[in-house]
Amino acid sequence: MLIHLPIAQVAVDPLILVAIGMLVGFLSGLFGVGGGFLLTPLLIFYGIPAAVAVSTQANQIMATSIAGVSAHWRERQVDTRLGALMLMGGFAGSTAGVGLFSILKAFGVVDVTVSFLYIIFLGVIGGLMAWESISALGKSGGDPGRRTRLRAWMRGLPMKRRFPRSGLYISIIPPIGIGFFVGMLAAVLGVGGGFILAPAMVYLLGVPTRVMVGTSLFQIIFLTAYVTFLQATFNGTVDLVLAGVLMIGGVIGARYGAIAGRRLKAAQVRLLLALLVLGIAGRLVYELFVAPQPEYRLEEAL
Amino acid sequence: MTRIASAVIAATFLAGAAAHAQRLEGTERPAMAAGLAQDVIEVEVNYNDSRVIVFAATPQPESQTSGLAVALVGPIIPHRMIRRTATGDERIEFVAAPQVFAVSAEPVVTATVPPDAMIEAGLNAQSTALPRLDQLLSPNLGAWREAFVGLKMAEGLYTFGDADFRRFDGGLRRASIGLPTNAPPGEYTVRAVAFRDGKVVGESRQTFTLARSGLDETLFDLSREHGLIYGFVAILLGTLVGGVAAWLGRK
Repeated sequence: MLIHLPIAQVAVDPLILVAIGMLVGFLSGLFGVGGGFLLTPLLIFYGIPAAVAVSTQANQIMATSIAGVSAHWRERQVDTRLGALMLMGGFAGSTAGVGLFSILKAFGVVDVTVSFLYIIFLGVIGGLMAWESISALGKSGGDPGRRTRLRAWMRGLPMKRRFPRSGLYISIIPPIGIGFFVGMLAAVLGVGGGFILAPAMVYLLGVPTRVMVGTSLFQIIFLTAYVTFLQATFNGTVDLVLAGVLMIGGVIGARYGAIAGRRLKAAQVRLLLALLVLGIAGRLVYELFVAPQPEYRLEEAL
Repeated sequence: MTRIASAVIAATFLAGAAAHAQRLEGTERPAMAAGLAQDVIEVEVNYNDSRVIVFAATPQPESQTSGLAVALVGPIIPHRMIRRTATGDERIEFVAAPQVFAVSAEPVVTATVPPDAMIEAGLNAQSTALPRLDQLLSPNLGAWREAFVGLKMAEGLYTFGDADFRRFDGGLRRASIGLPTNAPPGEYTVRAVAFRDGKVVGESRQTFTLARSGLDETLFDLSREHGLIYGFVAILLGTLVGGVAAWLGRK
């Protein structure tokens, strides 16, 4: 059975979409990230136009993040003050990102730009995470320590505030800056930014891992809602049928992913995530640089 | 059932129709009675693909070389093409080219009609893309057009030899042409061309509309005409699904 997607204008098998949603939801629940960095390439590989894939999966991440954050909220592991600051930066960043996305779309270079940015971010973050997690596996296999050398520069920054839930006394500038950067990526790449936000909060801000997961999901909800709204309103590229089918698989998968995550050591989880991220980066590198490129391209005139 | 009923009506209508001469786009060609089984095909969320049924009463008398060719063409829109070269990108703009072009012919037509006659009859895909006036004399126009057809074929929008033909008594023929799954909504033309001894002896053109309907139409129109509401609906959907999942998780 196939269904016709009204915005993407392609016919797809809903069972495959539910399976993709479940897979990404499972990994999202296992690794505590939104999963957009996996979902967008998977949708593009399945034949969904890049512009629709980028916009629509932000909507799906929003739903899975709402489902995921509820458990952390009940356990008081969400730092709303820190999350609100990152959101402020995120809104500004995503607004700039949507504008950038429109420009890229007008010039017909969305696909190439998204692929390049993906390779850079997936490669760098996957490599660093793999290095760190392999080192950690040789020791206790637990959470990474707070890297004081990386955080030392922040102590000199002005406008310090207390964040009791995270046990921090830091400047508000780094959370806003991180939020801006992640917000821009969310709009251009169609990712919630969890795979950047999570290590940034732990390694740069020093947020405890247990609070990081809940706070990351908390701010991803608002950010992806904002990005969804902007993409739907100004670019018209959010496909609600596609989003709805993906959400069903996503929320189911996320629940089982969280259960599976409790059975692994933290470093094992990070290493698996790193390998996954590097695998996707490798596939994109192959497609962009090794696979034969078509001499001609076709696009509908505006 | 509707399709069969429409087909019967069309066949009945055609049986009594008389051929008459008609001037078509500057070329004197005898008209041929023909009709479509449907004049509207609806694209809904459960739309996979469809087949367009055309009936044609070919001119009599027939000979061993008589045969029918059909072409499904539409919607006509501008296209832009880019060619990657070592020195940079080259561009061409086709001011009018069909998004979908499906052409088929009976084996006897393929065997007896020369390529020039097919081009003249408008049944050659490479001749359909009309370049901008200043690019009309481009020495590479043939290569551009060939690449254009190749790209469209890769998208599944240009097909060749995908129709089924059936012959009935009295020169009545039925052709069933596949409409691609990703065919865009719009106005389509179905051309039926009858050949005898390698020459056109009759032609007809019918139009039908591929239209969105139901949820597909509602969502598409909402996204294009009421973007603000569509944005709120998208957020509402995410909140609803996430909220229900969180509630079920607590249970």
